[in-house]
Amino acid sequence: MLAATAAARGLARAALRAGVGPAAAAAVQARAAGGSAAETRPTVRPKNEIEQKQLCAFGEYVAEILPKYIQQVQVTCFNELELLIHPDGIIPVLTFLRDHTNAQFKSLADLTAVDVPSRQYRFEIVYNLLSLRFNSRIRVKTYTDELTPIDSAVSVHKAANWYEREVWDMYGVFFANHPDLRRILTDYGFEGHPFRKDFPLSGYVEVRYDDEVKRVVAEPVELSQEFRKFDLNSPWETFPAYRAAPETLKIEAGAKKEDAK
Amino acid sequence: MAVAGKGAVATAVKPIFSRDLGEAKRRVRELYRAWYREVPNTVHVYQLDITVKWGRNKVREMFMKNAHVTDPRVIDLLVIKGKMELQETINVWKQRTHVMRYFHETETPRPKDFLSKFYAGHDP
Amino acid sequence: MSTVSTMLRLPAVRRTLAGAAQASQVCGRTTATAASNQIEVFVDGNPVLVSPGTTVLQACEKAGIQIPRFCYHDRLSVAGNCRMCLVEIEKAPKPVAACAMPVMKGWNILTNSEKSRKAREGVMEFLLANHPLDCPICDQGGECDLQDQSMMFGSDRSRFREGKRAVEDKNIGPLVKTIMTRCIQCTRCIRFASEIAGVDDLGTTGRGNDMQVGTYVEKMFMSELSGNIIDICPVGALTSKPYAFTARPWETRKVESIDVLDAVGSNIVVSTRTGEVMRILPRLHEDINEEWISDKTRFAYDGLKRQRLTQPMVKNEKGLFVYASWEDVLTRVAGVLQAVEGKDVAAIAGGLVDAEALIALKDLLNRVNSDMLCTEEVFPTAGAGTDLRSNYLLNTKIAGVEEADVLLLVGTNPRFEAPLFNARIRKSWLHNDLQVALVGSAVNLTYTYNHLGDSPQILQDIASGRHAFSKVLDQAKKPMVVVGSAALQRSDGAAIHAAVSTIAQNARTKSGVGSDWKVMNILHRVASQVAALDLGFKPGVEAIRKNPPKVLFLLGADSGCITRQDLPKDCFIIYQGHHGDVGAPMADVILPGAAYTEKAATYVNTEGRAQQTRVAVTPPGMAREDWRIIRAISELAGMTLPYENLDQIRKRLEEVSPNLVRYDDVEEANYFSQANELSKLVKQQLLADPLIPPQLTIKDFYMTDSISRASQTMAKCVKAVVEGAQAVEEPSIC
Repeated sequence: MLAATAAARGLARAALRAGVGPAAAAAVQARAAGGSAAETRPTVRPKNEIEQKQLCAFGEYVAEILPKYIQQVQVTCFNELELLIHPDGIIPVLTFLRDHTNAQFKSLADLTAVDVPSRQYRFEIVYNLLSLRFNSRIRVKTYTDELTPIDSAVSVHKAANWYEREVWDMYGVFFANHPDLRRILTDYGFEGHPFRKDFPLSGYVEVRYDDEVKRVVAEPVELSQEFRKFDLNSPWETFPAYRAAPETLKIEAGAKKEDAK
Repeated sequence: MAVAGKGAVATAVKPIFSRDLGEAKRRVRELYRAWYREVPNTVHVYQLDITVKWGRNKVREMFMKNAHVTDPRVIDLLVIKGKMELQETINVWKQRTHVMRYFHETETPRPKDFLSKFYAGHDP
Repeated sequence: MSTVSTMLRLPAVRRTLAGAAQASQVCGRTTATAASNQIEVFVDGNPVLVSPGTTVLQACEKAGIQIPRFCYHDRLSVAGNCRMCLVEIEKAPKPVAACAMPVMKGWNILTNSEKSRKAREGVMEFLLANHPLDCPICDQGGECDLQDQSMMFGSDRSRFREGKRAVEDKNIGPLVKTIMTRCIQCTRCIRFASEIAGVDDLGTTGRGNDMQVGTYVEKMFMSELSGNIIDICPVGALTSKPYAFTARPWETRKVESIDVLDAVGSNIVVSTRTGEVMRILPRLHEDINEEWISDKTRFAYDGLKRQRLTQPMVKNEKGLFVYASWEDVLTRVAGVLQAVEGKDVAAIAGGLVDAEALIALKDLLNRVNSDMLCTEEVFPTAGAGTDLRSNYLLNTKIAGVEEADVLLLVGTNPRFEAPLFNARIRKSWLHNDLQVALVGSAVNLTYTYNHLGDSPQILQDIASGRHAFSKVLDQAKKPMVVVGSAALQRSDGAAIHAAVSTIAQNARTKSGVGSDWKVMNILHRVASQVAALDLGFKPGVEAIRKNPPKVLFLLGADSGCITRQDLPKDCFIIYQGHHGDVGAPMADVILPGAAYTEKAATYVNTEGRAQQTRVAVTPPGMAREDWRIIRAISELAGMTLPYENLDQIRKRLEEVSPNLVRYDDVEEANYFSQANELSKLVKQQLLADPLIPPQLTIKDFYMTDSISRASQTMAKCVKAVVEGAQAVEEPSIC
């Protein structure tokens, strides 16, 4: 076990340190060898196999250490490492990534959420971490719904404070043990969470100054102008078969690890 | 009903604060009491053109609006939001417009019967 | 170098080809070939069974693969001149034009091979060589076949450095704008004009780079279906003049609705933006309008914005109309209604009224014990009258014309009374050798017909078998008799109806067709008539003339069939409608209603097919939906009608006549022999006056109802027809 970790670590570190050099060389080589193949798609970013391998190895390594919490590890096509974890594991995983010698992700660059109403757990909470030590980034994702509280990451990263307030305000995800959870962006008295997909684009109320009561009042929204909406389907659609939906961003699954339990 | 619901909820999901409905109700009562006590102070501090009784009636109305909720987790979340509102009110982070927003003074009620709907506009 | 066929029928070879072309279409009216002699071809290696004579393009369509094309169109003959549909056939030396090449057994069609793609790209390059790059100011932008297909199949870069050709624009009338530089010479418009519209006005001149589509000499494209060439034009060469530069297709909202300007009930799409109707387009309905609509349907929408009644009005002591509030006028009307009873109240329904308003009005008048409910359109009530539905419907249905082999038209000009019905007749005449005969004024119907004369006496001769045409009818396999509603509105209407009924009954028994083939047909001209008769309205205002009421309710009655002179001095007239047209000035109170694009309403077309319009825009000003106005009156008059929303009033419609809410379904009407027996009781003599339909030339077609009379576009059309297209020419900005 130890040997394996050491080897993996060695690989990851060596590659991380060497980083730019070999990758760039590889790209140049590919262009030279591929010739026309590379020429035809100048706008497509060339694949960096080496960097991807390093990320896979590090992901596997973390997943082996924390099998209880990490459900899946993946590397996106842009070479970004993602850990999908169980909501119970936020504190341990973030702490591990912060303190482990080979990780050193000491900086919480960003914390946000994504609302996908069709899922059972509709909110995806995303933590973007940065390791200054290794010049490397990692993304941790977990999930929750409207009623399940999520452990606050403030005890691990101080930076999480306002981010979590923002997520609470915009999505209505409750963070347990947060020192000061209250609204941050919306006006006092604002109802609803604006970034939820079921929140109407026009909102529920509109405000105006009322001369009679001498203050700003909020009233149910009434659109005096037509809501702008673009219908891009042509009435003369001749070739529906050729109008396939644009290809979705493919996620290349890296080392896929089943939850050990 | 309540017992069955409580049992299922307690085992299946992670509670926010309250383990059962009784505990949730206790939290609601605490919040209600706090609001009730705060109303005279609010009327005074914000110099509102309402009596304390109106204010307390409004508090009661706002609580009764959610009287049908039985899920302890939903109750907890509502209590959390209520506490935040209370905090904003006590600390005078709010202004008069925010407090008076509860009273919907300037809104005209929507027509209900056929004739008044007919006079009012096109919407059925 | 004209590729146009003459107005004569297509030669037999082309007809069979066109027939085969139709076999694979949705309608599939021609008999399908037996499964045994189907041949197997392969599309990209997948086997598909098709009947012999199928083109490569149709075989691919059957396999679910669409070949790009410009000149090919399902409903037009094959031209094969755009070359966009070139595909590779395995082991064939060069790519073939898929639209014109019949498949052979065992062919493997490669729709996406390197060769096919290269061929398309090359053709596209040639097309774009002379196509201007003015998409940003082109009205076709966003719905342009050339745009779409160049994105899908064209090259992503240009190697064209030369100058482009320019072509002079033609003025072909106030409806269709031509920017001929954009034309790619697909000749769809030419084929549409000569095959479907039956007007040989368009053609090509010159060849090669100088080839142009035009009208040979400067003249107007005079067809009642001319707007459809805008739709079939794959590029922006033919666009709509009234719609020019007003909206982009992606920013409009589309509402699927029904046209009510004639009795055909064409399916339409109403495009709106910011609460305004921007344009009207056809919607596919194989049994009614296929994919065409008439020019009145398409272009009369600007009439919806002019001459509108937007506020309730009351006539004051000086005889002038003053604006009033809804409360005031409704209370006044309710008061007037409360004071009268029975025969003192009457109502007249006009041609654009929906079934919901009709039933509400009927219920309201029944509450005051009156049954004086009339429609403007006259229909003979002697004999079976309107008691049997088969007496007043187009029983064969519009699509049924394609099966008929002999057609007798009586006192009608379907070309202008029901342009799409006429287009069906022409289609059947063209492809199925339909024999058409006409009793009535000799008019240009775009196809040849046997003119039997214009005297109604001829009908009697045919009915009794003395006329030569009786034999033709007797030998017919599927005869059809269509009588125009105008013919039945003469004073001898009942006799004409009786004679036609006898002719139809004789033809039916002699031809030995099954009971599902109906012969007798009435062609109505207004959209509301069938629904009104279904609901038990009395046709014609004769009863009101004889029995002048004290209160008269005009529900969109704008044909001027009753005037102040016909009524006592103190008669209180209520006008409810959407346009300040003929009916409104004589009223004491005006109630503004909604036009067909502003309400969800039921209309029944001449076949007896119930269809519903949908709300595209809100009624202007204080106007309200018609049935709601009547419902509000009833409440104020203390006799509240038992419905408050659309569902409830539709339920009430269902109680009275269930067919009115079975949308898009034609309720079969029968009892022809009984109707004929009853019609024999009619003791009325046919008059000697010739049968003259009210719309003789295209000039009479454009303005027939309150909406089209308010339309500037339609007025321009009339002017252009009378004085020539240059009379309405506007300074061109593009």
